[in-house]
Amino acid sequence: MKTDLSLHDELVRRIDSGALELPILSDTAAKVMTLCSEASCDARRLAELIQRDQALAGHVLRVANSAAYAPSEPIVSLQQAVSRMGLSVMRDISLAIAVKGKVFSVPGFEAELRELWLHSASAGAWAKEIARLRRRNVEGAFLAGLMHDIGKPVVLQAALDVYREAQRPADAKALRTWLDEHHTRVGSALLEHWSMPDWMQAATLWHHDPESAPEESLETAAMVCLADHLSHWSLGDGKSSEDAIRSLGVLAPLSLYADDLDELFGRRDQVSAVSKVLS
Amino acid sequence: MNVLPPAFDIVVLGAGPAGQKAAVQGAKAGKRVLLVERDAAVGGECVHRGTIPSKTLRETAVALSGWKQRVASPVQTDLDAGTKVASLMKRLGDVQRAHERFIAQQVDRNGIESWQGRARFVTPHEIEVLAPDGSKRRAHGDVILIATGSRPRKPAEIPVDHEHVLDSDSVLSMIYLPKSLCVLGSGVIAAEFATIFQALGVRVTMMDKSARPLAFLDPEIAELFVRRFERAGGTFIPGQRPVSVEFDGCDAVVSKLEDGTEVKTEKMLVALGRTASLAGLDVKAAGLRVNERGFLGVDVNCRTEVPHIYAAGDVIGPPSLATSSMEQGRRAIRHALGLPLGAPVETIPIGIYTIPEIASVGLTQAEVEKRHGGAIVGRSRFEELARGQINGETEGLLKLVADPAGERLLGAQIIGEGATELIHLAQMALIGGMSIDTFVDNIFNFPTLAEGYRVAALDIAGQRSRLRAVI
Repeated sequence: MKTDLSLHDELVRRIDSGALELPILSDTAAKVMTLCSEASCDARRLAELIQRDQALAGHVLRVANSAAYAPSEPIVSLQQAVSRMGLSVMRDISLAIAVKGKVFSVPGFEAELRELWLHSASAGAWAKEIARLRRRNVEGAFLAGLMHDIGKPVVLQAALDVYREAQRPADAKALRTWLDEHHTRVGSALLEHWSMPDWMQAATLWHHDPESAPEESLETAAMVCLADHLSHWSLGDGKSSEDAIRSLGVLAPLSLYADDLDELFGRRDQVSAVSKVLS
Repeated sequence: MNVLPPAFDIVVLGAGPAGQKAAVQGAKAGKRVLLVERDAAVGGECVHRGTIPSKTLRETAVALSGWKQRVASPVQTDLDAGTKVASLMKRLGDVQRAHERFIAQQVDRNGIESWQGRARFVTPHEIEVLAPDGSKRRAHGDVILIATGSRPRKPAEIPVDHEHVLDSDSVLSMIYLPKSLCVLGSGVIAAEFATIFQALGVRVTMMDKSARPLAFLDPEIAELFVRRFERAGGTFIPGQRPVSVEFDGCDAVVSKLEDGTEVKTEKMLVALGRTASLAGLDVKAAGLRVNERGFLGVDVNCRTEVPHIYAAGDVIGPPSLATSSMEQGRRAIRHALGLPLGAPVETIPIGIYTIPEIASVGLTQAEVEKRHGGAIVGRSRFEELARGQINGETEGLLKLVADPAGERLLGAQIIGEGATELIHLAQMALIGGMSIDTFVDNIFNFPTLAEGYRVAALDIAGQRSRLRAVI
């Protein structure tokens, strides 16, 4: 019987070989199909719906950037996708993904994925507020925050596949360790595979260790790191706190001060409302 | 027991062009200097959000858009929009980091102590610096220079959200090129960004309540700018300011104008000037007041009403040019230390990095006519110059403005590629008090755009001869 160690080796081998598929949550896919069948469907509602689903949003961006739709420039935001491609093409893409996508269904992990998505949506919303406060463009910030943990569902699916093939029950503790260990690398590789911009890949790769990021990626990685902490704090999951945030090393490269943090903390309800809608 | 704060001969607040040069001047004079900067990196708005980024974007936009080649060469150099944005931003980052490193090394090399934090006056001689981690420390300065710069003005009626409606800071972190852009304003920043984005293929509408953009410029040059901007596909709406601006929730920012017209664009850039960054500094505690325009008042040596406190750069208002700020910082410290000053620099050239460039030095035609009761103006159109034809730069114009007798050069204005470099010839001629005939009697390289000086001077000489013949 294979040990957890050898299963981990197998997981690493699969990660290193690439081509890991991101699952799509069937619930949102179904809603997209329903919405698209309504006469009142408009681009704004469709974009909002897609935005609520990290996996689907990622797929839409990937397909929108694919050779099949030949965009004249990279599509890096859903708003841009709607604006550029129009409702009918967006509808086609969403439907294609909804029909063709692999449905993610792992009994026992729905709660974790819901929690992960809520955290990601919340981090996206916080990144937006950080960017706004720093007078930076907020669209890129939102996407960087939204996608920062995109590697986690991919690693989870890959790990579960490894367990299933070894005919072993998944070990929750080992899974958490593997997710923490590999999600930044896998997430970054996934975004690279989707031809997402370098800064988005870098933010995903370095968000737990921005001080080690290359000079050109330090600011974005630091912003996502702070958004990650703010999200944990606002969701009250015990993984961060106001004191911990006030002592983060990333405040200096972001040039954020105590009163800036006060302003951010004061936006908790607003950000929670946005992330609730998204999730 | 109270511990006295560390004492410095000079404390400089702000590490932009004025602050850097002031700190270096102080250190070179053997003084103990503290430089306080709120941002993680030195360089100020000039390096991070102003002069350097916009000029880098401009040069990159010119190169990437094939702007020069479109008029001069059959070689197609156009790149797709995505490559343009990625290249623009990469190039921008590279240039900024190179400047940051250069300035940081200069600060280190000169033994200047550097603190990151936000400063506020506790007394006229003592400041408290708040660090990002919340810690505070104080410093005493025998001399204090305020060079905290400026930030974009945010009109209350325009919802700048840095998503759909941007300012000149957030426009530098766009992640894709919009299809269309409305630029609100008609000053230097507005005109520069309008032409940069237009060169990149964005449909640009520029609007302002003024009748023409760059209102401080010679009207002939400004009109030529508008003509070229509109011929390249841009739209300038004069005499209008939107009564409301809002994002329609899907894909457009809608600006409703006073006459009921609606202008819809994917994004809007608000460029309605800048305000001094003095928030939190508590200048009152230092015995200072801001004037009605929100700036600090200073004398010719950048000294405020409090004798040991100086101010330089954008916090004292126009001209707000990086070059003039550097000189102000340097001059302030030399004055404070009793070092020789030299005469104040009066002939400061203005360089506007639009596409094409615009530059001006000395007096305009209208100013000479007002001061001297008349003027003789010589013109050289780039289409008349061999180099203009070679470069495909045929729409440029060089104007020399002479006194009513047509003998003394009093000003020059240029529109066309290379204008910001070409203008220095006129600057030197003005400083040297050279006559119009200097340009006629000397030989220039051929073919060059500088030949335009000779052509314009000959134009003045011709008018002068005809005038003398009549008299």
